[in-house]
Amino acid sequence: MQFFRFAITRAFLAMITLIMVSLIVFSLMELVPGDCAERYLAFKSSQGGAITIADIDAERVRLGLDRPYLVRWGSWIFNAFQGEFGNSCILRVNIAQLLGDKFWISLWICLASLFVAYLIAIPVGIISATSKSPWANNSLRFVSYLGLALPNFLLALMIMLFSTVYFGDTLTGLFSKEFRDAAWSYERVMDFLSRAWLPVFILAWSATAFAIQTVRALMSDEVGKLYVTAAAARGVSGRRLLWRYPARHSLGPIINSLGFDLNRIFNELPIVALILTLTEAGSLLIEALALSNDQQLAGAIIFMLTASIVAINFVTDIILALTDPRVRRSILG
Amino acid sequence: MSTPLISVKDLTLSFRTDEGLVKAVDHVSFDIAPGEVMGLVGESGSGKSVTAKSLMLLNPDNAVYDPKSSITLNVDDQSIDVFSLKKPKEQMVIRGGAISMIFQEPMASFAPAISIGDQMVEQLMIHSTMTQSRAKEISIEMLTRVGIPDPAQRFSQYAFEFSGGMRQRAMVAMALSTKPKLLIADEPTTALDVTIQAQVIDLMKDLVKEFHMAILFITHDLGVIAQTADQVAVMYLGKLIEKGSVRQVLRNPQHPYTRGLLDALPRLDDLDTPLKPVAGDIPSPLDRPPGCVFHTRCPVSLGSECETIIPEFITNKDGQQVACLLAEKDAQKEEAEA
Amino acid sequence: MTNTTTNGDVNVDQKRKEAYFTAGQGQLIWARFKKQTAAMVGAGILIVLILAGIFAPFLTPYDPTIDGRNKDYVYGAPNVPKFCDDNGCSFRPFVYTFNRTRSIATNFRWVTEVDKDARRYLTFLPEGDKYKFLGMNFTTHLFGVDTGKIHLFGTDSTGKDIFSRTFHAINTSLAVGTIGVFIAFVLALIIGGISGYYGGWIDSALQMMTDTVRTIPAIPLFMALAAFMPDTWSSETRFLFISMILGFVGWPTLARRVRTHLLTERNQEYVLAAQLCGASAGHVIRRHLLPSFTSYIIVDLIISFPYMVLSETALSFIGLGLKDPVNSLGVMLQNVTDPDVLLNYQWHFIPVLFFITLVLAFVFVGDGLRDAADPYADTKK
Repeated sequence: MQFFRFAITRAFLAMITLIMVSLIVFSLMELVPGDCAERYLAFKSSQGGAITIADIDAERVRLGLDRPYLVRWGSWIFNAFQGEFGNSCILRVNIAQLLGDKFWISLWICLASLFVAYLIAIPVGIISATSKSPWANNSLRFVSYLGLALPNFLLALMIMLFSTVYFGDTLTGLFSKEFRDAAWSYERVMDFLSRAWLPVFILAWSATAFAIQTVRALMSDEVGKLYVTAAAARGVSGRRLLWRYPARHSLGPIINSLGFDLNRIFNELPIVALILTLTEAGSLLIEALALSNDQQLAGAIIFMLTASIVAINFVTDIILALTDPRVRRSILG
Repeated sequence: MSTPLISVKDLTLSFRTDEGLVKAVDHVSFDIAPGEVMGLVGESGSGKSVTAKSLMLLNPDNAVYDPKSSITLNVDDQSIDVFSLKKPKEQMVIRGGAISMIFQEPMASFAPAISIGDQMVEQLMIHSTMTQSRAKEISIEMLTRVGIPDPAQRFSQYAFEFSGGMRQRAMVAMALSTKPKLLIADEPTTALDVTIQAQVIDLMKDLVKEFHMAILFITHDLGVIAQTADQVAVMYLGKLIEKGSVRQVLRNPQHPYTRGLLDALPRLDDLDTPLKPVAGDIPSPLDRPPGCVFHTRCPVSLGSECETIIPEFITNKDGQQVACLLAEKDAQKEEAEA
Repeated sequence: MTNTTTNGDVNVDQKRKEAYFTAGQGQLIWARFKKQTAAMVGAGILIVLILAGIFAPFLTPYDPTIDGRNKDYVYGAPNVPKFCDDNGCSFRPFVYTFNRTRSIATNFRWVTEVDKDARRYLTFLPEGDKYKFLGMNFTTHLFGVDTGKIHLFGTDSTGKDIFSRTFHAINTSLAVGTIGVFIAFVLALIIGGISGYYGGWIDSALQMMTDTVRTIPAIPLFMALAAFMPDTWSSETRFLFISMILGFVGWPTLARRVRTHLLTERNQEYVLAAQLCGASAGHVIRRHLLPSFTSYIIVDLIISFPYMVLSETALSFIGLGLKDPVNSLGVMLQNVTDPDVLLNYQWHFIPVLFFITLVLAFVFVGDGLRDAADPYADTKK
């Protein structure tokens, strides 16, 4: 019963965070000089057509832009929670439709990278922390540094260079031409998977480097603690000693950091997407901001990204409460 | 003399550090008989813990043992050379099998996220072929034996849910569940308050009688030794300087250091006398004094002799052993007079 | 064990020990830092790069902007100075002359031919393009060539010398990073400081705010903020604005560190002891709290530097950051995604090597400092 209460409290806090985020995002959208009505009509007028102030005002009323700030924010966030972001100012298309699949594709790519990163980092980090051979230590250190220093977009660039020079082909795009706008089918999924490995690989590159460092540091810390010696003194040895004791206790902080790791991956997504000319939310974000200054679209995307992170944080909090007895007991009293 | 349970001869151990090879234990030899409680006394930095950990090969990887050191465990009619145990399976006999260890910090020695019961059962199942349910039974029995109320419930609880004294008892329970022949207690009462101390000591004395178990009791508290130990060995800066039965050593200390330790104890009958600590500070292990290790602080040092000659152990008529040039001279004088 | 030591050895030992025990915090950290080869190498490289950036106008032969471009040598390959070739050796290094021709034979595309017989010798300390340094005008550069221009790293699409641009870019990136880190640091100190020092509900409220900002992915946020810059702004204003954005988005992580440090240290017993001795709050903060985490904060600052540089590079790369004539590594990378460039003009990637080296150097130094500054760090490896 109390666990349920804990979950509800966490969910509530997550909501508050989201609301605050929406405030920031919405304010940013509002700060753009010239509101939607002006810009759309300016666009229209550049195509030939006389616009008067009265037209602008009328458009404003039509779009509901004359309502006070708080009301507009309230309605934005209310719709946002339902997945409705209104229409893009410039494109005059429903944003939710525009984003469509693209956001979920991005999310899956990022989650996959995170998964791959830890899949590699956990064993490697553990070995690195407990291995006695200096060769293993130093080479792992070097690899993790390389991962940190070579940012993902540079890696993407270099892969592009490599593939263009040697294969005369660019490994770009998430889908081959036939499948780009097709409906989902088995073939489309296969096509997607065959091309999606590249962005996943690139995004996982520095995520893995980070994760290796984290795992290694945590393990080094835990291995030195008394309870490991005490366990050894009881005769526990080998892999059992490694996994049940220091490894298990390093899990908590790692789970905690998953939300933040996703944040980092989201940071790298737009640029990698641009380089690889992917057609998902990341590259849409860049187009929206850099090219067309479409604040509605940009705001929606940023909000969704942050909402994903808040959701992951919530999930990891719950998982941590379930797996770490200290947390669990402190909740249940 | 029956065969000792464990026989340590010439144990010498150094640690590889950035500052070089630092000697931590220097030619330490002692025997513990079955069922005997041996107290190992000394200041912090005297090498007592390191010595004890050597019995279980628990020292960290940068420990370098001198090849002449030998530790022999005589158990089940077998004579086991501890240093020859290389593989984890072989080492199990000294780790949790015939020898168990309890630590100063009970909270830190339990894994925080695994229940006490799980850890106890794990130990039993590693060292024997019993089933899990049998192991659980035995564990709960042990918890009862050490005086923990409501053991069935406590079995599935975690270390942070126990109070300090209870944790210590639980640790004793866990250590004894495999019925070891030697229990190494590394400052088990130092972190406890006096009333709990008394309880734990009583518990240990009972268990010794019941299990016919020997204890290597490491502490810096002479009062505890007086209550619990049969034999006592005094260490200073990695060297053993005095050995003997508790009565003898405490009533008639031969070594100036032991005398200093006893003099430093506060007197219950005269609460106003100022305390008399042993003068000086223990030297850094990087800077071991030549000759007798204690000579830099010794109030009765013989000067250049003590600076250059390392005293050997002599045994006096009561069976006490001491490594001190002055004691040697006195003993020789007595013999000459007799 | 029984050999006696001579007086001389005792004195040396004694002095060394005294030095160890009376060394100040900075000296101790330096001593430990020195022992780590990776960190020392990193520090050396870092100093070299920083100096190269600062003295870029002198070290490089040409103005990195449009003014310094070589119209005749567009998309030119790097000129590698030689000492010897088929025509004999010389003490002075030289490069070949390139002739650009266009004719029917080449389908009217510009083709550059190397004329191995026409040598151009390198000159040292020649007069060249004007530049300002510390407010004064100079024209002397480190090296040049007797006729025409020399391009050690080749040229880009408009003929700008990549060598000059690289070094100037290092300077720009470092400058942006410094300002960004500084702003983030000040914000972090204030917010984290208030949060950590007062605790209670102020802390909770500020923490919520900090966490919220931290949850929003930084680069999309940068992009949103950067998109506000009207094109009409001058490049210097853009430069300042970018640096400010970096600082404003980067403070949460630092603030969190400051707050955690303060919260733990505030309750330590040595603070209580100092207070019981009668120390004033100012004294406690200055002499006790601040030194305890100065080293950590410095390490945090150094470690956050490469992220600032990376973020700026990313932004400029998309086109939302700095623009010509202010050039940074990101700006230089803008042209690189063109497949034409990828296939034919690979020397555009040379700045990437510098960039990686710079970031790696920072990372090594930061790590090394962190290990050196932590008094509890194990020295085993």
